[in-house]
Amino acid sequence: MSTSSIADQVGRAKRGVGVSGSGRSAGPRKNRRLRAKGWTYIIFTAPALVLLLLINLYPVIYAAYQSLRNGTLIQGGDFVGFTNYIDTLVSGNLSPAFWQAALFTLIFTLVGVFGSWVIGLVLALLLRTRIPGGGVFKVLLLLPWIVPVVVSAFSWNWLVATPQSPFPMLAQSLGLGNVLFLANPTLAKVTVCVFKVWISFPFMMMMMSSALASVDNNVYEAAKVDGAGSWQAFTQITLPLISRSTYISWILMTIFCVNDFPTIFLLTGGGPVGSTTSLVVLAYRTVFENFQVGPGVAIAFMTTIVLIVVSVILYRQIRKASVE
Amino acid sequence: MTVETVRASAQSTPRGRKAPRRQPDEAGMRGRWWRFLLILVITVVVLVPIVAIFFLSLQPSLGSTSTSAFTFENFTNVFTQTGVLTWLNNSLVVTVVTVIVSVVVAAPAGYVLSRGRNRLVSGFSLVLFIVQSLPVVTAVIPLFILFAQLGLVDNLTGVMIIYVGSTMSVAIWMMAAYYDSIPIALEEAAWIDGASVFGGFTRVVLRNSLPGILSTAVFAFLLAWNDYLVALVFLRSDVNYTFPVGLETFFQQNATDWGPVSACAVIMMLPPILLFSVLNKYFSVGGIGGSLAGR
Repeated sequence: MSTSSIADQVGRAKRGVGVSGSGRSAGPRKNRRLRAKGWTYIIFTAPALVLLLLINLYPVIYAAYQSLRNGTLIQGGDFVGFTNYIDTLVSGNLSPAFWQAALFTLIFTLVGVFGSWVIGLVLALLLRTRIPGGGVFKVLLLLPWIVPVVVSAFSWNWLVATPQSPFPMLAQSLGLGNVLFLANPTLAKVTVCVFKVWISFPFMMMMMSSALASVDNNVYEAAKVDGAGSWQAFTQITLPLISRSTYISWILMTIFCVNDFPTIFLLTGGGPVGSTTSLVVLAYRTVFENFQVGPGVAIAFMTTIVLIVVSVILYRQIRKASVE
Repeated sequence: MTVETVRASAQSTPRGRKAPRRQPDEAGMRGRWWRFLLILVITVVVLVPIVAIFFLSLQPSLGSTSTSAFTFENFTNVFTQTGVLTWLNNSLVVTVVTVIVSVVVAAPAGYVLSRGRNRLVSGFSLVLFIVQSLPVVTAVIPLFILFAQLGLVDNLTGVMIIYVGSTMSVAIWMMAAYYDSIPIALEEAAWIDGASVFGGFTRVVLRNSLPGILSTAVFAFLLAWNDYLVALVFLRSDVNYTFPVGLETFFQQNATDWGPVSACAVIMMLPPILLFSVLNKYFSVGGIGGSLAGR
């Protein structure tokens, strides 16, 4: 690379213009093109940026403002400092519900992420080998993720909710007595988590399938020659090779789980006695059912901040890992 | 190298990743059938809740005079007795508009994410990532207050705007992931021929991006068609209900009469299932990972 083209690159970087060009020839024509490129890029991103700012970033900033006031859905209300936060975190009557919801969100997310990852990975590994009708299975197994949650929650309700439903009847005939899946707090938690895993594993299957597709099979041949068993090959070769995709899928699924409203709300409504209320459901109920906008927004905002901090830390980790 | 070997190697490149090409021995065959059986059992178990709805929808309704075990009368009844046509119409309008606008906005933005290599673009990538992690519930409350002032509450346009905004980050990642697979040399050739950056994008890149566009469209379709929360908060009157809110309301009113509700549920899940069975080979979420970490 000649000195002039290096200077050119630096100049482009200073102007904030893309440096993706190959930097073959530096001349006035090239410069004009680069300036045009900069403008085109700005025009290309402008509509998306406006939408992102309006629909995604503005509400968060407004939520921060609203969480410091005692307003309603229509009025701004008065500034009350950190009262809403103290009420939910420490002393107020919302605080027990908040910590219960925080704990359930944690359980729900851990089960959702790792449950769906294990099942998704096993299925991706199975579908990677040649199986009769593999393509059909691949599509059929994606259905839980494609079917609207309203529909699947309705169906799960039919399967488990009433004593006449198939699953309670089955439990009865197995001599387990009268099992009420959605009326018992512990069982309701389990049911909601299983429901979430059922919805989410296809996404993990897709992520892991495409990660596995990029693993070269010759690696396994070599390992086999070296006398590695299949479990050893899996833990020593496959897992490290798909680790980046795995981390990314964990991050995305964590976000999906923490933010998940309909899965819980449609199956149990957060009950019985708040046992399956996650932070997001609690925020919704506080605002739209109890009309306590300030505390509700405070809960939503805290959830958001924790999630952003966790995601940004993990995002940096991935980028660091992918640079190495 | 003969033509035959060239063809053979060209074929085995994509396939060779799945399994080594060699004559399966006895044990290999048996293993294959065990795996087939295992995956068959898993698939059947997984599909129980979905197949159950189809069966339920064919059961006679509680008020029905029909004596046969299976009947299609639920399907004819829901069309005349419920707002299912309104819901279907509203959902279709909202979904189609969301898909078109999302693709039109995300396609050029994804191009910048794919081709740009500087600090600003990295910042853009980080903004997308943060936005993706914001809970919809947090956004819904302030947007409700804002939209109430603008007259966009209980209005399909308001819902569409939110859907387009919610698809943005993933849609841009998906488009960028697809552009990454198109060699930049193609555009450079067009530039040398005198095309502008915009011309190179529309005539070279976009023309070769149909799979990426379809993938993004499927994603936007699923998001808009399946969303419950935004519709629940923003749509207040039954003439404006989209399918998820309409179905849930109908279910709350007829909780014990499973037949008609299931018929509605079947009608609701058919469009995404049909769309996906046609377009599934184009749909890929795997690229998102690379798109997220690579910048």
